[in-house]
Amino acid sequence: MNKPTRETPRSFRSARPYLLLLPAFLCLAAFTYWPMLQVLLASLSDKKRVGDSGTFVGAENYFRIFQDAHFLGALANNALYAAGTVIPSVLFGFLFALALRETTNLSSILRSVLFFPTLVPLVGAAAVFIFVFMPDIGLLDYYLAKLGVSATNWLGNPDLALVSLMALTTWKNAGYYMLFFLAGLQGVPQDAEEAAKIEGANWLQRLYFVIIPMLGPTFAFVMVIALISAVSQIDHVIVMTDGGPNNSTSLLLYYIYQQAHEFYDLGKATAATVVTLIALLTLSFLSMRTVERKVHYET
Amino acid sequence: MFIRSAVGALCAGLIASSAVAAERIEFMFPAPVQGKLSREMQKLVKEFNSSQDGVEVVGVFTGSYDDTKVKSQAAAEAGKPPAVVLMSANFATELAMNDLIVPIKELAGDTDLDGLMQEFWPAVRPNAYFNGDVYSIPFQNSTPILYYNKEHFAEAGITKAPETWAEWVDAAKKLTKPEGERWGIMMPSNYDYNGWLVQALTMANGGQFYNTVYPGEIFYDHASTQGALKFWRDFAHQHKAMPTGVTNSKQVSTSFFSGKASMIVLSTGALTFVRENAKFDYDVAFMPRNIRNSVPIGGASLVSFKGTTDAQKKGAWEFISWLTSAEKIGHWSRFTGYFAPRQTAYDLPEMKKFTAEHPDALRAVEQLAYAGPWIATYNTVAVRKAVEDEMQALLSDPELTFREAAARAQKNADAVLAPYAEQTALTLK
Repeated sequence: MNKPTRETPRSFRSARPYLLLLPAFLCLAAFTYWPMLQVLLASLSDKKRVGDSGTFVGAENYFRIFQDAHFLGALANNALYAAGTVIPSVLFGFLFALALRETTNLSSILRSVLFFPTLVPLVGAAAVFIFVFMPDIGLLDYYLAKLGVSATNWLGNPDLALVSLMALTTWKNAGYYMLFFLAGLQGVPQDAEEAAKIEGANWLQRLYFVIIPMLGPTFAFVMVIALISAVSQIDHVIVMTDGGPNNSTSLLLYYIYQQAHEFYDLGKATAATVVTLIALLTLSFLSMRTVERKVHYET
Repeated sequence: MFIRSAVGALCAGLIASSAVAAERIEFMFPAPVQGKLSREMQKLVKEFNSSQDGVEVVGVFTGSYDDTKVKSQAAAEAGKPPAVVLMSANFATELAMNDLIVPIKELAGDTDLDGLMQEFWPAVRPNAYFNGDVYSIPFQNSTPILYYNKEHFAEAGITKAPETWAEWVDAAKKLTKPEGERWGIMMPSNYDYNGWLVQALTMANGGQFYNTVYPGEIFYDHASTQGALKFWRDFAHQHKAMPTGVTNSKQVSTSFFSGKASMIVLSTGALTFVRENAKFDYDVAFMPRNIRNSVPIGGASLVSFKGTTDAQKKGAWEFISWLTSAEKIGHWSRFTGYFAPRQTAYDLPEMKKFTAEHPDALRAVEQLAYAGPWIATYNTVAVRKAVEDEMQALLSDPELTFREAAARAQKNADAVLAPYAEQTALTLK
C-alpha cells in the first residue's frame, strides 16, 4: 500500500486553491472592488465632497448628468476622440510594424525612432506641444508658413482643438502599438505565407487573407488598450486646454475631475464614473468578441 | 556590543531630536504667472526655517491657482490638512462656506486682526473677510493692466496710452497690420484669466459683476456685462485687431515680446517678467474706461485648513506673520511685480528706491485707488466658468450674439447658484 504517510484533510484540499488566491483577492478587494463599490454607493447619494455624509437619492444623479449639456458634450467629445485616436494610431502602428518587419540596421534605428514618443510622459509631451501648436510662432506654423499656410490657432479654435489633441495622442501611441504588431508578426507562420505565395497570391492578397486574420488577437488587444487610453489619459487636456475653448476638448474624465474637485458635486462625478465604466466594459467586451471571432486558428 | 552601542546611540539621537524637534507644517503655494517665482518662494521658506527653531515649514509647489485649490482640498480630505496655503484671493469665501478653512483668529490668538487689516489697501480687504471674520491674509496682489510697445505707438503716430474705450479701439485699429502680421491688442482668454478680464471690462463699463455682499447672485445678463462681452468680441470680429479664438497668457506674452502684438492686457504680477523679456521700449497704463476707471484685484492670500493641531496653528501664524511683514511682502513685490497688499511696505527705504528706479511698478499701486473685490460666490469656479465658456464661444464664433451669450451665461450660473439661494435668500415659503 502506498498510502501517504500524512493525509491532507479533504476539506483543506478543496479549500487550497482559494487559500492560494486569497492574497491576490485581498489586494484586489481593497484597491479595486472596494473603491468601485464606494463609487457606486456615492453615485446614489447627494454627497458634495469626499468625506461628506450625504443622503440616499436613488438614481437622481444619473438623471441629472443625462440632462447636463456639459456631460453629454463630454460624452460626444470622448466618442469622437476615441474614434479619432484609436483608428489612426492602431493603423499607423500596424503599418509601421509591416514596414519594419525585417530586422536590418536601418529598421532597428527606425523602430527606436518611432518608439521614442512612448517614452515621453504625456504631461511632458503636452507641455512641449503647447509650443509646437502656438499660432504663428510655433514650430508647426513656422513650417506651414513656408508652404504658404497662414497662422492657425490650433488650440484656441473650438473646431480644431480636439483634432490637435488627437494628433498628439496618435503621435504618442502609434509607436507603442507597433511593438505589439511586431511581436504578432513574429507569430505568423512562415509556411502559411509561403503557401499563399506558391498559390500565386500577390502582396495585398497575402496581407488581407493571411497576415491580418492571423493578427486577429493582436488587433483585438491593441484596440482595447487604445480605447482604454482614450478614456483614461487626459494629462494633455489639463496641460493644454483645460477642456476649452468652450468645452470643445472636455473629455469624460476631465468632466468627472471638474465635478469632483472644482464644482463640489461628487454625486454627478461618481455617476459619470459609473456610466463611463459601463460604456468602457461593454465596448471592450464587444470588440474582443467581434474581432476575435474573425480569428482563424489552424493547428 | 556593537549592536548595543548602536541602539544606545539611536535612542540618544531620538531623544535629542525630539527635545528640539521643530513643529513641521506644510505650506502649499502656486506660481500663476511666468517667471522664477517658485524658486524664490523656496528660498524664502528656507530663510524662515533658519531664522528660528520652533517651526519647520515644508514648501510644496502646487502649480496654478485652480490646481492649488484642488490639491489642498485633496490633502485635507485625505486627513492631512495643510497648515498654510497661498490661495487665490477669491476662493477664501467658498472654502469658508464649505467649512474647509479656519478663521485666522483661531491661529492668531490675541492679535487684533481688524487693526491689522487696516494696514492693508482697502481694495484687498473685502476678499479677506467672510461673515465678519478674517479668513485670509493677503500676500501677493495684482490688477489687470495695459502693457504697450512704445516703438509701435511712435510708428503709428499715437502719442499717449488710450484712456477710454473709444481711444483704445482707435489705437488697436491703427496698430494692427493686415494678414496677422501684427495685432493691435491681445488679451488672454483661457479659463481663470478670462473671467478676471470679463470682470475688469464689466467694472470699467460701470458694472459690479457680482453681488459683493451676498454670494448667491451674479449679474451676467445685465447691460454692463453684456457691453463688456460685446466690446471684447468686437476687437476680434469687427475691428480685426485681435486674433479670433482663444489665446492663452503664454501666447499673449510671447506675441508681445516678439513684436507681434502692440498692446496686451496681463496681470501686474507679470511686470518683472515683461521687464526682463521685452527687448524694446514699453510702458504700462491703466485699463481704459468706458463709464469709469475700475478693475478687480487678483492675486493670492494665505489661508489655513481646518483640522491642524494647536501647535501647528501657532507655527502657521508665526510663518504667516513673518511672510506678510512689510519687509518680506515688499521684497516679494519687487521680485515678482505683484503689488504689496500691505501699505506700510511702500514706506520702507528699499521700496522707495525701487519705485524711483521703476516707475511702472507704481502704476499698479496708483490703479488700486480704483480697484474693487474679485468675484467670490458660492461655487466660484463653476459660476465663473459659465461666463468664460460664452466669452470663448464669442471669440470663436462671429455669428453668436452677445445677448444670446449673456443670457446663457446667466442661466447656467443661476443653475449653479440655485441650491445656495434656496437655502438662504429663498427660505421663506
